[in-house]
Amino acid sequence: MNAWWQRLRSVFALLMMGGLLLYGVWPWLPSRAHATPPRTIVFYGFSILDHSITQDVFPAFRSRWRESTGENLELISSFAGSGTVTNQIIMGVPVELALLALEADADRLAQSDVVASRSWRRLPHAGVVNRTPIIILVRPGNPKGIHDFSDLARPGIAVVHPDPLTSGAANWAIAAEFGAGMRAHPEDPQAGYRMLLGIWKNVVAQAASARAARTQFDLGFGDALITYEQEGLWDRSRDKLHGEIVYPRHTILTEHTLVPVPRNIPASDRALLDSLEAWLWSEPAQRMFVRNGFRSVNDSLVRADSAFGRIEDAFSIGDLGGWARARVEIVDGVWRDRVLKEIDR
Amino acid sequence: MSESPPIETREIPEPPVPRREAWRIPEAVFPVALLIALLLPLLLMPLSAVFVFAFRGGLVAFREALETHEAQFAMRFSLLVAFATAVLNAVLGTFAAYVLSKFHFAGRGALNTVVNLPIAIPTVVVGTSLLLLWGPIGLMGKALEPYGLQPMFTPVGVLLAHLFVTFPYMLGAVKPLLDELEVTYEEAAATIGASRWQTFWHVTLPALRGSIFTGALLTFAHSLGEFGATVMVSGNLRLRTQTAPLYIFAQFEAGNLAGANAVAAMLAALSFVIFFLLLNQSRPAERQR
Repeated sequence: MNAWWQRLRSVFALLMMGGLLLYGVWPWLPSRAHATPPRTIVFYGFSILDHSITQDVFPAFRSRWRESTGENLELISSFAGSGTVTNQIIMGVPVELALLALEADADRLAQSDVVASRSWRRLPHAGVVNRTPIIILVRPGNPKGIHDFSDLARPGIAVVHPDPLTSGAANWAIAAEFGAGMRAHPEDPQAGYRMLLGIWKNVVAQAASARAARTQFDLGFGDALITYEQEGLWDRSRDKLHGEIVYPRHTILTEHTLVPVPRNIPASDRALLDSLEAWLWSEPAQRMFVRNGFRSVNDSLVRADSAFGRIEDAFSIGDLGGWARARVEIVDGVWRDRVLKEIDR
Repeated sequence: MSESPPIETREIPEPPVPRREAWRIPEAVFPVALLIALLLPLLLMPLSAVFVFAFRGGLVAFREALETHEAQFAMRFSLLVAFATAVLNAVLGTFAAYVLSKFHFAGRGALNTVVNLPIAIPTVVVGTSLLLLWGPIGLMGKALEPYGLQPMFTPVGVLLAHLFVTFPYMLGAVKPLLDELEVTYEEAAATIGASRWQTFWHVTLPALRGSIFTGALLTFAHSLGEFGATVMVSGNLRLRTQTAPLYIFAQFEAGNLAGANAVAAMLAALSFVIFFLLLNQSRPAERQR
């Protein structure tokens, strides 16, 4: 009886492992494999791009490509905080096309000799594919009465903020907070520093990317989340926004930079990649970005869409001297060296 | 997770349900109740939360979340890596156990420590060190680059990480038995003229069959759940190097709790089955000794 039971168990174990193996290799079995494997494009993007790229912009490109050439394409993709993506690229991931949250990360790629310095500036719009302002997301009904960045510095407000080490949104947010302080009190040279200090005293959670910070906020952490307008608009368009978008009086309009990595692009794929790059700035693709909550680089598309909120004073990184300066003077000089020291982190 | 020490066949913990003979003793009631009360929030409730969340949207939503191209790829890729890791480490681990058990040489103790080291090293550190060795900026990586060989951020890199992290589990299952295996059988085989290889193949190996199976299953289970090293060396590329645990993490971070939980529930269910197979496998092994 016992031996019989024992045997039954072994047979079960063998059947299970056999079944799992069969399930594992199923798509690669000779009878199931594609006659010609699809051509692949390896794409890395910052966190909030996922849906717009994998569900809208790329599938449309794939259909057009199939119609004109008969070839199948497959997108091999990865999405994470812009800083994380940049570090992965420096470590040598086989990326062909990267869409980063900020030009400062593209500059880091150039400093590590991954791409030629400023090579992305030759692209349309100096490499900027789309934009979105930094906003504040609050709980439904705005129970804490948050209407501007300065309200986030009030005692007792819990702020969820992405982590500037790994997240592009966090760097934009720091530039937005600093710039908002400066522009509200142009007479006071310390206004930017004081705004950053006030907000960062109230930061209760930091996540690796804008999307991850968003998930933390949705799981119930904090009274306010500093993030991209796109996050709020995209959820509102699907009736999934459990909160309200608050537009600060002064805030920054972020610009997201496309960086092709020629050293990972085989000569045979050059035309394919050029065609995909051009597609990103085409009107249909820009409309898809707008549908996903991004502000197009084509201003007429932004004006035509009533979902985008009005910002009293939208400034750009150019107003702060460009990212090369802002990274050193604001993110490193003020936030890291002064604010973090002051709040003892 | 992979940080736990390898379970030797004798050390499988008792299930929390008390045995019948123990139940009769009244003083057992309180400690057993206390144990269950402790285990409930620590182990049982978190585990059930995964399943509750996975099925909250109903069976249809659960199936839809599992059927996405990315989820299917991640689960298949994880299974294939786990199979490859189990097979390769079954051979390597048995060989290592055999050498460490049957040969006496200077530095045996040190070597024994080295092969067991992966248990103590944090998996993230394993990932980092593999990248620093085989990555494009690493020592070996630089040497390989001119030949167009680049193991990191490919399935090969993931396999290398899993082989490293799970190496001691096979050893832990096989070596104790090898150490205790009656030398007399092997000596008897030698006296009738069997070579070392013949002795191993016809005498030692059959005695080890149960342990090798246990070790391979343990390796398989740990490979299936490996996260720390994989996240470093894979590049986290969907449809190419993203394993099931990486898929769960990425989807959870992105706020797709349904997608993350569906795959998490599958992984959890599979590891339960493997655990019970291990539990049952351990009993005859005990009797053999």
